[in-house]
This record gives sequence, C-alpha cells and structure tokens, in this order.
Amino acid sequence: MNAAIQLEERFGARLLESVEFRSELTYVVASSDWVEVLRFCKEAPGLAFDQLDCLLGDHLPERTAAPFEVVAHLVSHVYGHRLRVKTSLTEGQSLPTVTGLWPSAGFDEREAWEMFGIVFDGHPDLRRLLTVEDFEGYPLRKDFPLQGTVGGRIRTDLRGKI
Amino acid sequence: MTGPSEPSHKIPSDALGLGLVRDILRRTTDEEEARKALDPDVLGSAVRLPGGFAMPVQIERVLGFGRSFSFWPLLFGLACCAIEMMALGGSRFDMSRFGMEAMRASPRQADGMIVAGWCSINMAPRVVRLYEQIPDPKWVLAMGSCAISGNIWDTYNIVQGIDSLLPVDVYVPGCPPRPEALWQGLEMLRGRIKQSKHAYDGLRRIPAREALGEGGVTS
Repeated sequence: MNAAIQLEERFGARLLESVEFRSELTYVVASSDWVEVLRFCKEAPGLAFDQLDCLLGDHLPERTAAPFEVVAHLVSHVYGHRLRVKTSLTEGQSLPTVTGLWPSAGFDEREAWEMFGIVFDGHPDLRRLLTVEDFEGYPLRKDFPLQGTVGGRIRTDLRGKI
Repeated sequence: MTGPSEPSHKIPSDALGLGLVRDILRRTTDEEEARKALDPDVLGSAVRLPGGFAMPVQIERVLGFGRSFSFWPLLFGLACCAIEMMALGGSRFDMSRFGMEAMRASPRQADGMIVAGWCSINMAPRVVRLYEQIPDPKWVLAMGSCAISGNIWDTYNIVQGIDSLLPVDVYVPGCPPRPEALWQGLEMLRGRIKQSKHAYDGLRRIPAREALGEGGVTS
C-alpha cells in the first residue's frame, strides 16, 4: 500500500508496531507522536485520510504498564483506503486532542474521556456526553461494577432547564 | 409474565359502556329491570320520564366513552420497542382503526404516552418532563421488559422500570412485544379510558415528583 510505504519512510522506527489483518493495516505509535502521525496521515498528498471514521478508547488491565489505548480509524475518500493508528497510555496520562485536524473528533474524545477517563489536552469542550453531569467513575473500565445503578443518579435540578 | 396486565390494586373492571346503557333504555320500560341491569355505582337510579325511563350517567363515563375512540399517544420512542410501535402504526397492523393514528408530536396535544424501550438515567428527567406536559387526564403504557423493569440492563445508566417515575396504567411485556401484544395492551388501555380509570387514581404521590425530590403532590 502506497500509504504504508510513505508512512514508513517518514517515521521509520517511530512506528512501534505494525499489524496487517485481512488487508487492514494498524500502526502503533508512541503517545508523543500521536498528533504528528495523524497530521501526516491527513495532510500528506499520497495518504489524504480526510475522514476520522472513529476514535475510541480501550482498557486492557492485563497490560499493567500502559493499560489504556486510544485507537483512531481513518478513511481516505480520495484513495479509498483505511488505516488504524493506536497508542498506549498509562493511568492518568493525557493525550493531545486531534479536534484541530478533524472536528468530528470532538464527540469521540468526549466519549473516550467519559468512559475511560483519558484526558485530551486542548479539547475545546470536554463535557460528559452520555451520562449525567455529576457521574462518578468511568463506566467502561474493566473494574467498574457491571451490575447495579452506580455512579449516577437521576438529576433533580433540571427543572426549567430542559 | 404471560400477557399484558394491569396493576392489581386498581378498581375492578366494569365493562359497562354507553352503548349498553342506550340498549337497555331502548329495551326496557320496567324500572326494576333497568335497576337490576345497571351498576348502581356507575349510574344513578332510573328517572321516570314520559314514555320510559332515563338513566343519569356520570359525565366522566360519557367523556371516557368518547376519549376511548380517539386516544392520541405521544409520538415518542426510546429504543427498539419503538420499531414495533411503528409497525403497529403502519398499514399492516393499522392503529388508525381504533382512532389512535394521530400520534402527536407535542405532549400538549397528546392523551398519553407509550414508553417504548429503556429509559436511561440521563433521559429520565426529559421523560418526566414530557409526561408532565401532557394535559390531564393522561394514561401511560409501559412497553417492553426494559420499560417495565430495566430487563437485563441492571447497569449504571438505565432506570430500573419506568414505574419508579411515572404511574403506569398497562404493562406490555416482551422483548420487544409483537405489535399484536401492544395492540392488546392498547385495548386494555381503552378499557381503562372508557371507565375513566387512571394509574394515578388513589396515589398519594406521583412517583416522579418523589424521585425528583420535589416533594409529593396529592393527586
């Protein structure tokens, strides 16, 4: 794939790992390279990933060193190719936002922050998206209780606001 | 649960509609017979008029009779049950046969709501708001296991049964219920409308007002 050649030429060993599964390519990068790699993916003429398909968080507690992961799925409408870019994070580590590249990352990063507690530095509006505003805990972390109404409650102070 | 059910503490059903009253008035000229045939709780005693007897009817019964043929639910679906509700509204099952085709998009024009699907904790204040905007008298039908009890979603974000917030008239179980089941539930609801029975009858507090911490309001 042309995009893969260009990426490997540009970043070389900074692409920590590459996986190809059913002709879909995934690169793992360091969190410090996150924005730079994604910016190159979007702006390099031979790559032209003009759409951020989705951006999501993940919690893998068996990886004790860096249990969190952020995955960006990219689509290019120019060339019709796709790419995944992943990065690993430790507990409490933040990641720079990519809302400057794709404004649609705003909702995805809000959700990843809400569900996993991954803070995105520079996000213009990091509010809760799906749970109540005063929700406690990060519900998609593996240590969050599966059962029971925990963390949130029905808001009592919305009279006149909704 | 095997079929739609009404809350057990409600007043026993009485199937008397206005049509029956009219039939009896036409058929009988005997005051005793008329008294026997009619439920004294529902109707006053027969009044002798030239040419027969007239039966005073509670105005609520007349209104309920009329309302039962034009129940307009709120156009409002929370989850997958709403698909079955749409199927009932469509041409195959055709709610409009029963005067329910006009699903109002504004709660102020609706007669009740079909809570179709799970209600998330974030959504709950909005659902209560919609319920409160429906003018009295109003009826609520809880459609599907999630609206009844939360179903398998005993999780952080789902209300465990909408009856913890709203007084529910009819429960229709199923995941999701077939349109026929919802239809049967709506027929039960029509029975209640005809009798002017509401789930909030006899409740000292509306559950939502209590849950939302606003104190009870006697109803």
